[in-house]
Amino acid sequence: MNSILALELTVGIIVSFTLLGIFIWAAKSGQFDDSKKQMDGLLFDSPEDLQTAYDKEQKIKRMKEKKKPKES
Amino acid sequence: MSKVKCTHCQLEFDETVMIREKDDPNIYFCCNGCQGVYHLLKDDGLDSFYDKIGNATIAPPIASSKQDSSSFDMDSFRQRYIKTTKEGFSQVNLVIEGIHCAACIWLNEKILDDTDGVVEANINFTNNKAKIVWDEDTIKLSQIIDKIRSIGYNAYPYDRSEEDIKATAKKRDYFIRMAIAIFASMNIMMIDVAKYAGFFMGMKSETLHLVHIAEFIFSTPVLFYSGWIFFRGAYYGLKNHIVNMDLLVSSGATLTYIYSIYVLLGGVGHSYFDSVAMIITFVLVGKYLEVIGKKSAIDTMDKIKSQVPLEATIIEENGKKVVPLDEIAIGDIIEVKMGEKATVDGELIFDEATFDESSMTGESLPIEKFKGDKIYSGTINSGQVIRYRATKNYANSTLNNIVTLLEDALNSKPQIEERANEISKYFSITILSLALLSFLGWYLYNGDFENALIISISVIVIACPCALALATPIASLIGISWGADRGVLFKEAKFIETFAKATTVVLDKTGTVTDGKLSVKNIIGSIDNDNLSLLYSLVDSSTHPVSKAIKRYLEKNYINLRQIELENIIQIHAKGLEAIYHGKKLLGGNSQLLKDNGIDISINSQYTIYNFAIDNQLIISFELEDALKSDSKELIEYFQLVGVEPIMATGDHENVAKRIAQEVGIREYKSTMSPIDKANYIESLKKDGKIVVMVGDGVNDALALSKADVSIAMGSGADVALAMSDVVILNNSLLGVKDSFRISRRTYKFIKQNLSISLVYNMITIPIAIAGFVMPLIAALSMSLSSLLVVGNSIRIKEKY
Repeated sequence: MNSILALELTVGIIVSFTLLGIFIWAAKSGQFDDSKKQMDGLLFDSPEDLQTAYDKEQKIKRMKEKKKPKES
Repeated sequence: MSKVKCTHCQLEFDETVMIREKDDPNIYFCCNGCQGVYHLLKDDGLDSFYDKIGNATIAPPIASSKQDSSSFDMDSFRQRYIKTTKEGFSQVNLVIEGIHCAACIWLNEKILDDTDGVVEANINFTNNKAKIVWDEDTIKLSQIIDKIRSIGYNAYPYDRSEEDIKATAKKRDYFIRMAIAIFASMNIMMIDVAKYAGFFMGMKSETLHLVHIAEFIFSTPVLFYSGWIFFRGAYYGLKNHIVNMDLLVSSGATLTYIYSIYVLLGGVGHSYFDSVAMIITFVLVGKYLEVIGKKSAIDTMDKIKSQVPLEATIIEENGKKVVPLDEIAIGDIIEVKMGEKATVDGELIFDEATFDESSMTGESLPIEKFKGDKIYSGTINSGQVIRYRATKNYANSTLNNIVTLLEDALNSKPQIEERANEISKYFSITILSLALLSFLGWYLYNGDFENALIISISVIVIACPCALALATPIASLIGISWGADRGVLFKEAKFIETFAKATTVVLDKTGTVTDGKLSVKNIIGSIDNDNLSLLYSLVDSSTHPVSKAIKRYLEKNYINLRQIELENIIQIHAKGLEAIYHGKKLLGGNSQLLKDNGIDISINSQYTIYNFAIDNQLIISFELEDALKSDSKELIEYFQLVGVEPIMATGDHENVAKRIAQEVGIREYKSTMSPIDKANYIESLKKDGKIVVMVGDGVNDALALSKADVSIAMGSGADVALAMSDVVILNNSLLGVKDSFRISRRTYKFIKQNLSISLVYNMITIPIAIAGFVMPLIAALSMSLSSLLVVGNSIRIKEKY
């Protein structure tokens, strides 16, 4: 009985601390700085919006790469 | 006449005044600006904006697309605001004006992301600040600003201060610490259910041991990570010879934690890991709210600073020159175009001018100025291009004075906090000394170290936690949520006490006691149906507040109004309108306009007058007044009933102030007050030992609001006034002010009751704990009982009304 309880507690603690770790990573990377936007972000997660977000990341990457050779 | 929604801004207007889309008769626009933006979004494939906006309304685009944005490319601008990123891109921080909802953010970010050369555009919804990174080789900043303006928003640069960067980092740090504390406390509470059930129903000691291990795992990060700031606070306090609340919290929590570990390792007694987590979490949430308050104060300041003009055009012998504000010298001739702000204080050298001084006086009517009159910095030129001579430099001008004073006020607000710390200092010292004394006493008495330690810890545990900690917050929480139900938004709980003790309330006139909108009070003369339609068409062609008021009156009281096409409509500066209809000359305006046209007029009134004449024959005159809000009398009667002294302070003239004060029953009033006068007046009241509440709504009230002990703003007021206030009345009703007084007074009464309950609890339990009679289980029960008493008592707050 106690060994099952111990197992449950161990698994529970590991899972919850993992989730907490992910949350801390998200908070540290600034994702919770804008509380209003964070809440409303849920409204804008259609496939089209996600594609836009991906395109945006790619664009930033491309522009940064384009800029580099010129600098060096 | 039916009302229809503008497809772009979603505001409702009468169908007859709307612009109908040629291709689609179901699409309407309220103005060309909205139509322009709609087409632009459609062409760019951004029309999903209208699905995202939902039922929210936005402001119609201002005519800012015509504004000149070349100043964004100037060298002085570059030096001050533009930074270079490590990749070699340029970066600027902006405040975006006109953001109303999440869809606005989406649209702005999307249109900028789709622009060539913009690397990154990130807009913060909470404070409307934006960070833009772009490649100067591809696009100029002015082009980016034009893009923002083209979709109906506007952008101002601001200097991102060290303070702002630090406050953002601090807010994030506290947020993480608090989140961990709440997360762990919630888990411990769940485990507690099992633990306490075990006390009553029986639990094997091995199972209890497992439960203790789980609680130990969860409480450790709370104490050492989340609670780190208390250790740090206690350390710095001790270094400066101050015993503060941080020391009590950290020592109480640490001792409890150590004792609980001792129990966990097989010692006799009861573990208190739950108390460790709760103490830290409760106090930390309070601290986090303080940090948020500080951050939003900095955001407000940045918004105000971004409104300050960047440079001025001065006239020199060999032409015009644009200079930064700091370089304007006394005696310089400054040119101000229509819609621009005056940058420094000065004297008009042109014959006449009209200025919108609403940011200074709160009065919405433009003020007429003549040669030699004073021009105040920050006021907007609403007439033709004018020139004036600077009499002060920027540092000594009104606008800069206000900005500096606001900055000081924001930095020095938490006076009450200091007092709270002062009280907790004595409390902390007393409890810590009692704990130490009982430890020494018991140890010397029977030489049992373990027993002495348990007793001293139980003194700290019993004194520190819930009842006292809950007494104020739980009552405030219930009071605040009750206020929210009634449309009264308390921004912070700590103002309830000051509010309840208030002795004096200072009310702004325009927009607070009165509607802030002109309405027809009296009519002199009569008018037939044909002439009525001529008058209607004439007032309809102007956006002046007086014309608008006459138009509203006609629409409300007459049904046979027709729109007639008038010819040659001329706006006569600060006097009225002139137009021609079938050869007849129509005049509508103040008495001066009629006198200028040779019409003899002898109306003597203390109200604003609007006359209408046809072919130099006076037809009808209207007396207009700024009407009282319907419930202002009731509010004043309430103040007199509860013994709070109402005072009215206004930027308006003596006779208007006197009339309004008499009408509502206010005995004391102050007239012709500038924003700085109002703030000084509040300071002087405070010096006389009065606790002052200020009620206002305009930009001109912001400074006074910041100086008052508690400030209330009307929900429809200016952004700055809302930001400065502690309480916001969402429905704009003065009864909301009355409610806010009633709620805070009643809540405060209950806070006092709660404190008495917890004090009595401490007075009874601490001696028992010192005497060594507190068994762990009884300590746990009595702690819960005292908390329940406090919570139960607080729930009664809401019952009465």
